[in-house]
Amino acid sequence: MKRNLSVLLSLVVLAGLMLTACGAKPVVQTEGVKETAFKAVKVEAPNCDYGGEFKSIEAVDELTVKVTLCVPDPAFPSKIAFTSFAIQPADYLTFTGGNGALLEKPIGTGPYYVSNWVRGDQLVFKAFPDYWGEKAMSDTLVFKWSTESAQRLVELQSGTVDGIDNPGPDDFAKIEGDSALQLMPRPALNIMYLGFNNNPQVDGFDNAANPLANEKVRQAIAMGLDRQRIVDNFYPAGSEVADYFTPCAIPNGCVGDKWYGFDAAAAKALLAEAGYPDGFETVLNYRDVVRGYLPDPNVVAQDIQAQLKENLNITVNIEVMESGAFLDAADSGQLKGLHMLGWGADYPDQTNFLGYHFGAGASKQFGDKFTDITEALDKGAQLASDAEREPFYTTANNAVRAHVPMIPIAHGGSGVAYKAGLQGNPHSSPLGNETFSVMGNGTGTFVWMQNAEPISLYCADETDGESLRACEQVTQSLLGYQTGGTAVEPVLAESYSANADLTEWTFKLRKGVKFHNGFTLDAADVVASLSVQWDAANPLHTGNTGAFSYWSGLFGTFLNAPAQ
Amino acid sequence: MTAQTTPIQKLDSEALSLDSVSLWQITRRRLFRRKSSVVGMVILAILIFIALTAQWLAPYSPTLSMLDAKPPENIGKRSAPCIYLLGCSQDQPQHIMGTDGNIRDEFSRMLYGARLSLMIGLSTVSFAIFVGTVLGALGGYFGGWIDNVIMRVMDVLLAFPSLLLAIAIVTVLGPGLINALLAIGIVSIPAYARVVRGSVLSVREMDYVSATRALGGNTYEILFKRILPNALTPLIVQGTLGIATAILDAAALSFLGLGAQPPTPEWGSMLGAERNQVFTAPHLVFYPGLAIMLTVLAFNLLGDGLRDALDPRLAHVS
Repeated sequence: MKRNLSVLLSLVVLAGLMLTACGAKPVVQTEGVKETAFKAVKVEAPNCDYGGEFKSIEAVDELTVKVTLCVPDPAFPSKIAFTSFAIQPADYLTFTGGNGALLEKPIGTGPYYVSNWVRGDQLVFKAFPDYWGEKAMSDTLVFKWSTESAQRLVELQSGTVDGIDNPGPDDFAKIEGDSALQLMPRPALNIMYLGFNNNPQVDGFDNAANPLANEKVRQAIAMGLDRQRIVDNFYPAGSEVADYFTPCAIPNGCVGDKWYGFDAAAAKALLAEAGYPDGFETVLNYRDVVRGYLPDPNVVAQDIQAQLKENLNITVNIEVMESGAFLDAADSGQLKGLHMLGWGADYPDQTNFLGYHFGAGASKQFGDKFTDITEALDKGAQLASDAEREPFYTTANNAVRAHVPMIPIAHGGSGVAYKAGLQGNPHSSPLGNETFSVMGNGTGTFVWMQNAEPISLYCADETDGESLRACEQVTQSLLGYQTGGTAVEPVLAESYSANADLTEWTFKLRKGVKFHNGFTLDAADVVASLSVQWDAANPLHTGNTGAFSYWSGLFGTFLNAPAQ
Repeated sequence: MTAQTTPIQKLDSEALSLDSVSLWQITRRRLFRRKSSVVGMVILAILIFIALTAQWLAPYSPTLSMLDAKPPENIGKRSAPCIYLLGCSQDQPQHIMGTDGNIRDEFSRMLYGARLSLMIGLSTVSFAIFVGTVLGALGGYFGGWIDNVIMRVMDVLLAFPSLLLAIAIVTVLGPGLINALLAIGIVSIPAYARVVRGSVLSVREMDYVSATRALGGNTYEILFKRILPNALTPLIVQGTLGIATAILDAAALSFLGLGAQPPTPEWGSMLGAERNQVFTAPHLVFYPGLAIMLTVLAFNLLGDGLRDALDPRLAHVS
């Protein structure tokens, strides 16, 4: 009897082990990639003369990462929490060569993994059973997209999708009046601006004859554009005229002098003084893509066109570009004339607004940089308290106003609409990074429709919000942002600390966190994920375009950056 | 029995009067006899009148935002049509087709749009007819390798769906009305080249052409004075129907943002710009859509009528 019992027990244990082995099979197979054992690694710059913010990244032990900076950075937790700095397995990064499969099938630690991406149609995510946190409410998450706000609304009304991004401004009232739907306004933590490129990087372009290289011309346009009229007529409720580049809700966003008031006569006189009494002809580029900061791009572009003709006799030819091509051209400084673009907060700090756009590491979008702006921003970014930073951001805001690399137009109110009666926590995020694992409709499949298809899912090298939102369901950073808010909270790091002068940051990783391919998170993965972005000489520093704009925008020059 | 005799009587009466009336008079008579062609001509006449008098008929400039009107009007974007005669409040400015997304008078833009649409149709078809005629005539008359080269190129052009090819051409040349016109003109050439070539082939061996040749007529005289005038009939029909297609193609290109650029009042681009307002401001897609439909219908009705009127085989049909 005893013997039979022990045999039975052994069989049960054996069956249990077999079932466990079957259950442990990873949900995402990365064939050909083998998990290597942890090795302490350190990537270090020889010194800080290269111009970037990072000095070193070190895997101290399996669960400890130390980042040493060249300069103090009080906003470092907010920055490192951003989607672009998400962690993927070091072995997978090496296997993909930094692009290829990485662009379509990222391996993250998030509540969802990428199941299937049918280009041009839909992106399907499945719930990750081994997720370290609270499991996703829906087994399947589907991303669909349409550039047409009318189509998005019809899909929501007909019930084929559960939530939509950016309903058209004219549809807000309709959604609010429909008991089957719910509108969730998104705070205007963004900026829409009219940008100028004072020195386009285009072969054969004669910048001496470029009117926009002349500061007085840019100032004249700043005075000759009635921004209040644009916001009053073409933006939804909750929007406001931007008197500064950065929204006032962000500390030190609105310090210094307010933007120029509308004065058509003074603008005309200044334009004449600059040598263009009869105006000139230029081009306005933009992408016909709805964003929270720009709910009706065509209409706004045509109003700017009409105003500049009426007030300054500047003939503006509108050129609409494909979204990806437009962003690439903007980043590489190839846009001539005017361009209409915007920015939504990734984290609530001036470094994400002024710093990213006009700092030393900013792209060539606005042409040549202005040293008085970059110096003030560099100094401001290194100080911990808002009071200490204020004088530097005052200087920076005033210098932006004087040089006019762009005209801030609006902080656009936008929203998200869902079906009424959803379970969990349907929300809109001021950062535009809605988390869909915390909401469901009870059917097991949640469908979200946004404005456009993601460009790629390797978000280290993407800046487009539609791509970032998709990445945020899959990959995670050391820190993250509160669901529906902006506060920074631990994610893959369960805790972090800094030295007194904020140059050494130590992160303690969560134990036992699994990647979607079954690998276990360790400090070497963190070093690999960050260093491929930081080190331009790293063979994996390839990505989708190789720009890694967020890294350079937030942390300055790349290590081993090729000479200009 | 009566039904059979009626057409014969008509044919007889026409045949009897052949001495006194020209082919064009007969054609006109046949054209006016068809109700559908008359409808087409009436619509077209109205459109031409609107196109010619748009600057006097339109209450506003088509590109003027009501915010820039002097004095500025207190009216919002995409406002519904307001006609005083139909009971619209006098407190509100009258815009009989409402205002668009940029607070411009939709009625004025529609009127100017007629001018642009007709210009697009006529200019692209004229261009295509001119080039197509020259190519078709050369190929048909000289034959041999010239014909082979020309017609194979035409075959290649015909192998692509016309709108797709036009989109490809505009993508290469860059968006804009002129480039769109050029693209539509280019994709229309093969149709005319084939028609002219066919006519030239059927006419070139006729006795009167041989006679001209025997009398020492040169190539230019034979081709342009003897052959082409006799190949004109199918060209007129093809051209009239081609205008409708050209207008439709241009509207499609503009709808896609590849044709007329803002703020040009082109019906296709007006339709495209307001496509998202189909539920909130349906008048902004209804009016341009209706205008495109009526214009294309008018040219198609006229083209069908011309085809029947110019076809001697249908002469007995009333």
